[in-house]
Amino acid sequence: MKKSLRVLSLLIGLLAVFYFAVPSQSSVGSLDRIKERGLLLWGSDAEGGAPYVFPDPEHPDTLIGFEVDIADAIAREFGVNARQVQNAWDSLIPALERGDFDIAMNGIEITPQREAKIFFSIPYYVYTEQLAVGKDETRISDINDLSGMKVGTLSGAVAQDILMELGGVDVRTYSGQAEPYEDLALGRLDAVLLDLPIAAYYAKPNPKLKYAGPPVGEGFYGIAIRKEDENLKRAIDEAIGTLLETGELKRIYEKWDMWNETQEKLYLYAKGYERGVTLEEAKQAPIWRFFPMLLKGAGITILISVFSMALAIVLGLVLTLMRMYGRPPLSAVATSYIELYRGTPLLIQLYILYYGLPNVGIALSPIVAAFLGLGMNYAAYEAELYRAGISAIPKGQTEAALSLGMTQGTTLRRVILPQALRIALPGVTNDFIALFKDSSLVSIIAMVELTKTYNILAATTLRFFELGLIVAFLYLAMSYPLSLLARSLEERLKGKKR
Amino acid sequence: MITIRGLHKYYGENHLFRGIDLDVEKGQVVVLIGPSGSGKSTFLRCVNGLEYFQDGEVTVNGIKLHSINRKRPARADREAMRQVRLKVGMVFQQFNLFPHMTALENIIEAPMRVLKVEKNTAINTALALLRRVNVEHKAESYPDELSGGEQQRVAIARALAMKPEAMLFDEPTSSLDPEMVGEVLSVIRDLVNDGMTTVIATHVMEFAREVADTVVVFDKGEIVETGPPEEIFNTPKTDRTRAFLSRILKR
Ligand SMILES: Nc1ncnc2c1ncn2[C@@H]1O[C@H](COP(=O)(O)OP(=O)(O)OP(=O)(O)O)[C@@H](O)[C@H]1O
Ligand SMILES: [Mg+2]
Repeated sequence: MKKSLRVLSLLIGLLAVFYFAVPSQSSVGSLDRIKERGLLLWGSDAEGGAPYVFPDPEHPDTLIGFEVDIADAIAREFGVNARQVQNAWDSLIPALERGDFDIAMNGIEITPQREAKIFFSIPYYVYTEQLAVGKDETRISDINDLSGMKVGTLSGAVAQDILMELGGVDVRTYSGQAEPYEDLALGRLDAVLLDLPIAAYYAKPNPKLKYAGPPVGEGFYGIAIRKEDENLKRAIDEAIGTLLETGELKRIYEKWDMWNETQEKLYLYAKGYERGVTLEEAKQAPIWRFFPMLLKGAGITILISVFSMALAIVLGLVLTLMRMYGRPPLSAVATSYIELYRGTPLLIQLYILYYGLPNVGIALSPIVAAFLGLGMNYAAYEAELYRAGISAIPKGQTEAALSLGMTQGTTLRRVILPQALRIALPGVTNDFIALFKDSSLVSIIAMVELTKTYNILAATTLRFFELGLIVAFLYLAMSYPLSLLARSLEERLKGKKR
Repeated sequence: MITIRGLHKYYGENHLFRGIDLDVEKGQVVVLIGPSGSGKSTFLRCVNGLEYFQDGEVTVNGIKLHSINRKRPARADREAMRQVRLKVGMVFQQFNLFPHMTALENIIEAPMRVLKVEKNTAINTALALLRRVNVEHKAESYPDELSGGEQQRVAIARALAMKPEAMLFDEPTSSLDPEMVGEVLSVIRDLVNDGMTTVIATHVMEFAREVADTVVVFDKGEIVETGPPEEIFNTPKTDRTRAFLSRILKR
């Protein structure tokens, strides 16, 4: 008992260290605070992928992409360093508003709807939408032939609005940009409409795919800034202006093979030439290069699982005691908690915790939200296991303890719980394995754990299969020892009563 | 020592006790007999507060237990019941040893946790008690490694470790194989001879006759007869006692 308490407090201590190592939420904000901190935090989705922000196939633990270059250049103008903060693309704006980072830059199209919520910098890129189809496609020659066709695009992107306005199109939305092209190549889609830089990276080099028609729907990418950070917006505009004047921006776009006539609208000079990474190179990189990144993801998976389970074990016990021995208001609270958490999807609970709570002024960091979300969910299941354990103890045990003059509390602690927890133990171990796999769900709240790492790497390299096998193996390598432990506990409990 | 006045007990609609009175003097040995379902166990459980009752009063060693007519007893009632249990030891038909503790741990648990006896003292007392009930060689064994007779003797030692003023036995030998009945009864006999105030519910009539100062005959929740054993067994006054005795002695 005492030993497990010590382990628990150690775990909580470690969590605290990890939590405080994450940049404090309250300090993000104005330009002054960025300079004071020496860091410009910019939000983007590395799973969105190339050529915007994606892991370098040469060194997968570093991010590259034209937006990485732009962020670095802007930070240099400010005299600070840039640090990317991972966040799902379709929730970049809410995350910006809740203060997870200073700015969001990830091919975010400037639209009136978005401008109602946040500031945009002056444009840093002129995008067009490019339609891509299968190599042998004959029915579709341009965007006007899409009626009745299955067309993939990114959820929330301007391309989606264009498709909707066309009418009669069977629009399929994705959250990553590699997947629609995968499905197109497999024949699951008839066409994909997405921003030209995306098409240029994924469709153009793919021999199974081809462009259909000219680019359509010109628009601008802008950097998103919170409404209250007006001085930051001015500074960003100034920095983009400087990068335009010095030709730095054009250099970046040429490096990524993204420069075209249209960009002349924005940029004044051009000089120097550097070539970016192509999809072909990403596909060819030796697989071992991705190991450090995958192992880091696995480490975070373990960390989250262990802490969450510790919370679930303790909170579950509190809930059971409240439910079984508490007076009516307490027991009703515990019962409702258990029913609520068991009766609603974990995914929804995580969303509410991470994106919902900021509306009432509670902004949790991703790791704390992940820890609380998983732990509070599993606590409901542990509580039920304990309850089953306690119910299985014969009434005579309580009576014998009471007849010896023990109080209710002593009886519970010394006689009932030690026996009940032994009964619950195999179930708890099994739940740990389940939680361990469920931890992949926290990738939706911006935690880059093993599954998210896989998504990011696979989207960049399109090596879904081999990376998938490696990741599956990593999960197995972590959960199998737990299964063995569960089984040996069960054996031991079957053999003896103690 | 133990006084019961006007005890009423309901199990839902079933009105089991309709006003029971009984006195147990210090050092007295009272044996409860009667057909199955007549209320012997329930009576013993009322005496040490394992069962609430709806009317009447139970006084043990000067501590009063009141009737309780709501779902949860008040804190004061719970504490009174605990005070009674501290003074009265109970031995159950099913032994009810704690399966996750050795015989020794079963015995020292309550003295250490409840009376705050120091561990070494508690162990010495426990070993002496185990010797008294003849299972000192099984001190380190777990309950599932003990025979029924050994378990029941450990359970008796466990109750004695709390230095009770009185002991209640609820059919202490009914779950035992016949060859183990004797060893448990002889432990109880020693206890009685040492002057322990004792109330025993039992179906073993020879033992009742041997140890009892007073025999109480229960039937359908009522006390039908009370008296010294010779009187009850040789010249029973009521038909119900006679009927019961003839049935049980024929077996
Ligand atoms: N928890 C309970 N709920 C409802 N009725 C009960 C309960 N416990 C006992 N009874 C009833 O009360 C009556 C007396 O039972 P009790 O166990 O006291 O009898 P007993 O004399 O000890 O019988 P035995 O010799 O079989 O042990 C029986 O009719 C029984 O069905
Ligand atoms: Mg009985």
